[in-house]
Amino acid sequence: MNETPEQLQQLAGEYVLGTLSASARLDVAQRLTREPLLRAEVAAWERRLLPLTSLAEPAEPAPQLWPRIAATVQALTQGSALADGASNPPRAASEAASGVWRADPAGWHRWWDNLRLWRGVAGGAVAASLVLAVLLALRPAAPVAAYMVVLAAPQDRNAGWVVQTSMNRQLTLTPLHDTVVPERKALQFWTKASGWSGPVSLGLVESNRSLKLALDKLPPVQPDQLFEITLEPATGSPTGRPTGPVLYIGKAVRVM
Amino acid sequence: MPNAPDLFDYDAVLAACAQGDQQALQRLYQQDGRHLLGVALRIVRRREVAEDVLHDAFVSIWQKAASFDAGRGAGRGWVYSVVRHQALNALRGSEREVAVDVELLAALQEAHGDTVAEQFELHASMGRLHDCLEHLDSAKRNSIVCAYVDGCSHSEIAARLKAPLGSVKAWVKRGLAALRECMG
Repeated sequence: MNETPEQLQQLAGEYVLGTLSASARLDVAQRLTREPLLRAEVAAWERRLLPLTSLAEPAEPAPQLWPRIAATVQALTQGSALADGASNPPRAASEAASGVWRADPAGWHRWWDNLRLWRGVAGGAVAASLVLAVLLALRPAAPVAAYMVVLAAPQDRNAGWVVQTSMNRQLTLTPLHDTVVPERKALQFWTKASGWSGPVSLGLVESNRSLKLALDKLPPVQPDQLFEITLEPATGSPTGRPTGPVLYIGKAVRVM
Repeated sequence: MPNAPDLFDYDAVLAACAQGDQQALQRLYQQDGRHLLGVALRIVRRREVAEDVLHDAFVSIWQKAASFDAGRGAGRGWVYSVVRHQALNALRGSEREVAVDVELLAALQEAHGDTVAEQFELHASMGRLHDCLEHLDSAKRNSIVCAYVDGCSHSEIAARLKAPLGSVKAWVKRGLAALRECMG
């Protein structure tokens, strides 16, 4: 972007202040992952304005709030003992988690190319390839392009879901294990191909049920297209964009 | 019992979270949960929404802790920024943004100086920020504090300060520029 330093400072200030519109906020959040200068300006504004948080009167959280948080964190961490090197999570995986869809392509590649991450995911990948083998065996003889995505948890790198798409634009989302969904929350499924302005919701997902979708309203799946599941309010994201933490994320790989 | 913020090692707690230490996350919650809920509550107004914001923010903190560049003493600011952004995201997607009556705002388009009634009581404990805010005229000061503390959009500031929208946008812009100048 061709902004003067003053404009960049202004944008960073309004971002931290919160006066940008939802779409402008999202735009800045995306730029933050790839623009160190903007990141530095935002950090400077966070630091300058932080003392204003003292104007808010503290409020006593409901006693069940911490158990709710602990249960979600526990659910996200479950299975990590099975993953190789889980006690030392690779930084790149956590970066991917923090970037959500706001991550830059280079960041994604770094995460994607991270060998340790994939070693961790290997347990899930075995299950995924079994699913794939079955899917391939059942496939009709006609040549079709199909994609497959293993959705892994950014925190513990455990595979949680497999996505399979076919040329006739059917998508199947298959759980590899149960995901514990906290009270008043729902799982929401998203996809974003390169060049799209933002992720598109594919709807809410039940935690332990397979889901079949027709992708007829979307362009054909592309290699490297991103799919993710985020934790959202029970009725889905109020903004039409992911607002909650990423639980599972993965990238489409062409298999046929 | 929570410690004074300067005695609590936020960077160390975040580093421990990055290593998978769930008790570290709980220590952070015990230290700042009440205050963070207060910050979220001022922005989203509704208690149930504020608690959801705090839940999501703590899950994000847990997941992002490894990407936080610890060791520079900025941990506390980082934690508060995660909660504020989570609250602002929840807010900006909801109805409040379009709730302001355009007609009403047009009716407010009258000759208006840069003096408005004070809406906030600032504390001297805010240090340099306090002094720099005191140097702003009341319109800029109240616009900035309303946005940061209460999550006011431009239109909400306009409604609250009974001022034209255009003036509010200019106050926010110039107020930020002046603050930056003052604080370095």
